[in-house]
Amino acid sequence: MSSTVSARAPQQSSTTPGAGQTPAPGRRRPRILDGWGLLIVPLVVFLLVVFVAPLVTILSRSFTDPTTGLDNYRDFFSSPVYLDVLGNTFRISGLVTLVTLLLGFPYAYLMTLAPPFWRGVMLVAVLIPFWTSLLVRTFAWVLMLGDTGVVNQGLMSLGLIDEPLQLIRNQTGVLIGMVQVMLPYAVLPMFATMRQIDRRLVQAAEGLGARPISAFWRVYAPLTVPGVAASCLLVFISSIGFYVTPALLGGPKDMMIGELIVQQLSAVLRWGFASALAVILLVVTGVLLVLVSRIVNIGKFMGGER
Amino acid sequence: MSQNTSTSTSTSTSALAGTGVSIDIRNVVKRYKSMTAVDDVSLSIEPGEFLTLLGSSGSGKSTLLNIIAGFISADSGAIEVGGKDLTKVPPYRRDLGMVFQHYALFPHMSVWDNVAFPLKRRRISKAQVAERVQRALDVVELGHLGKRRPTQLSGGQQQRVALARAIVFQPQALLMDEPLGALDKRLREQLQLEIKRLHRELGTTFVFVTHDQEEALAMSDRIAVLRDGALVQVGTPVELYERPASRYTAEFLGESNIFTGRNHGVDEGSALVVRPEHVRLSAVGSALPTGHNAVDGVVREVVYLGSGLRVEVALPDGRHLITRSEVRGALTPSPGLPVAAHWHPEHALVVRDDTAA
Ligand SMILES: Nc1ncnc2c1ncn2[C@@H]1O[C@H](COP(=O)(O)OP(=O)(O)OP(=O)(O)O)[C@@H](O)[C@H]1O
Ligand SMILES: [Mg+2]
Repeated sequence: MSSTVSARAPQQSSTTPGAGQTPAPGRRRPRILDGWGLLIVPLVVFLLVVFVAPLVTILSRSFTDPTTGLDNYRDFFSSPVYLDVLGNTFRISGLVTLVTLLLGFPYAYLMTLAPPFWRGVMLVAVLIPFWTSLLVRTFAWVLMLGDTGVVNQGLMSLGLIDEPLQLIRNQTGVLIGMVQVMLPYAVLPMFATMRQIDRRLVQAAEGLGARPISAFWRVYAPLTVPGVAASCLLVFISSIGFYVTPALLGGPKDMMIGELIVQQLSAVLRWGFASALAVILLVVTGVLLVLVSRIVNIGKFMGGER
Repeated sequence: MSQNTSTSTSTSTSALAGTGVSIDIRNVVKRYKSMTAVDDVSLSIEPGEFLTLLGSSGSGKSTLLNIIAGFISADSGAIEVGGKDLTKVPPYRRDLGMVFQHYALFPHMSVWDNVAFPLKRRRISKAQVAERVQRALDVVELGHLGKRRPTQLSGGQQQRVALARAIVFQPQALLMDEPLGALDKRLREQLQLEIKRLHRELGTTFVFVTHDQEEALAMSDRIAVLRDGALVQVGTPVELYERPASRYTAEFLGESNIFTGRNHGVDEGSALVVRPEHVRLSAVGSALPTGHNAVDGVVREVVYLGSGLRVEVALPDGRHLITRSEVRGALTPSPGLPVAAHWHPEHALVVRDDTAA
């Protein structure tokens, strides 16, 4: 409202000089930007500088460095090693998505059933990871899961195992670390969807002859689909770009595309190739978003319009 | 035209007809913390009867209905349907159709799938399912809307789908919790008639919940009046209206004039009830029919109702008396006119005064 009001003020001031309170930049022309509207300029500049410009640089580099053409992309798609990395990335992201879904769905469901106090406790518990640095948490896992870590020591002192289990430097370690990081992203959209589902529908289904399990799967579960899809998408896309966790908790065989980019940038200095990798990551993510948004209205579950 | 549809409708209805079962409610009690939602209610519903649970908001109607349906378990007491004790039987094995005030249609299913839902839970052949769904939808005159989603229907249509879904599996009895509460007056009256017709044609026992006394009077074989969780009176609409057992029932069903206190010849704890249509007005001082009781007052307001007049008479003690009369009476009442309001003693009912707080 206030912006529409102030949008007129400068126009008046240009016809009656001296009467305006708002200094009007660039007179005479009809303006959209003035007074309050100007406040958006820093944001636009910010986005241009830190987002659009690097993106354009990366895109152009991937086609021009070191030679102009598709060489970087050809390198990538013709090398089994690199394709393996892409495969790893998808496999690990897929597994992380699956595990967070299996853990997050019942967790979110329990949250909807819990009385307010316990719901709060469960919410805080799932949000705690947000308040600690990713690096710190990942190192904590190294300490916990290593050969002499808490978990192995504990199991050995209980006599359950004779020698340490290999829990890090392999896929297990990566999964444990990433699932912990991604769990909130899985739980929150599902919880948001579930809390809006009318439980009386389940009751109605039972009244119509559906056993409780059948009522759950035929009535409740289908209504959670938008939340589940949003969760999966969020977790999968975030997982694709992971770097720190697989680097510290994974073995050499578990390299993901994020690690490969860093390696190409900092160790091998193939900036053009690294740029191509980043573009591939971006395109894959974009395609996924489009595909899933055909199925569900994503905006709704990412805090957009209803 | 209309005859055609009604014959085809009634053939399809008869294919869905069930046989009514009795429902026995025995000493049912349900407490929530400090308050008693259902207070030792016992009630026998006859096979094929249309029984209405009537009461003001919070009187325990929904709680009682949900106890019958099995969604809420009673603290004590028993529910028997068709002579079988269902107290410990989960809702999905009770075989009762339920219609909710909020419809409870499954938003992710088409109208057709909603109606097919109870059949598919009962291992019925595909062909049978299709046939019965179509028939149920025809009965509620929505046969052409099967493909729509519930959200694409009007409130009245949604309620009809809920009705079709509740009758399609030929339940032992149909329970309805204020099914018309969310609809506007005209639609409500239309659906009242449809529900009555369904009841006639199906022959199933109906338990209907409402807080609307006119709806209850118009639809029911018998009405059970609930108050604060307790059963106040059960009877046919005529019984309840003409012979209310207590002041609460008299005031809840229809309009009534209540007199208390010795100067009206009423004992402590009792009240005198005179229905407005039994009160006649005459000019003050004119000869009254022999034996009539009378009070003098001044006409305060006259409302023309089309079918008659509704006249409010202010009494000397500050209270109002309501009368209904034909337009062409012996006297034309107008505000300010002193009148004598009188009635034959046989229309003055002495009832228990149960409204004292
Ligand atoms: N789950 C519950 N917990 C506590 N009190 C409840 C619960 N359910 C119902 N009550 C109380 O029990 C009483 C009866 O409730 P009920 O829903 O049966 O009333 P009702 O007659 O259906 O009213 P309405 O016409 O408003 O639907 C009310 O006072 C209500 O507050
Ligand atoms: Mg209710």
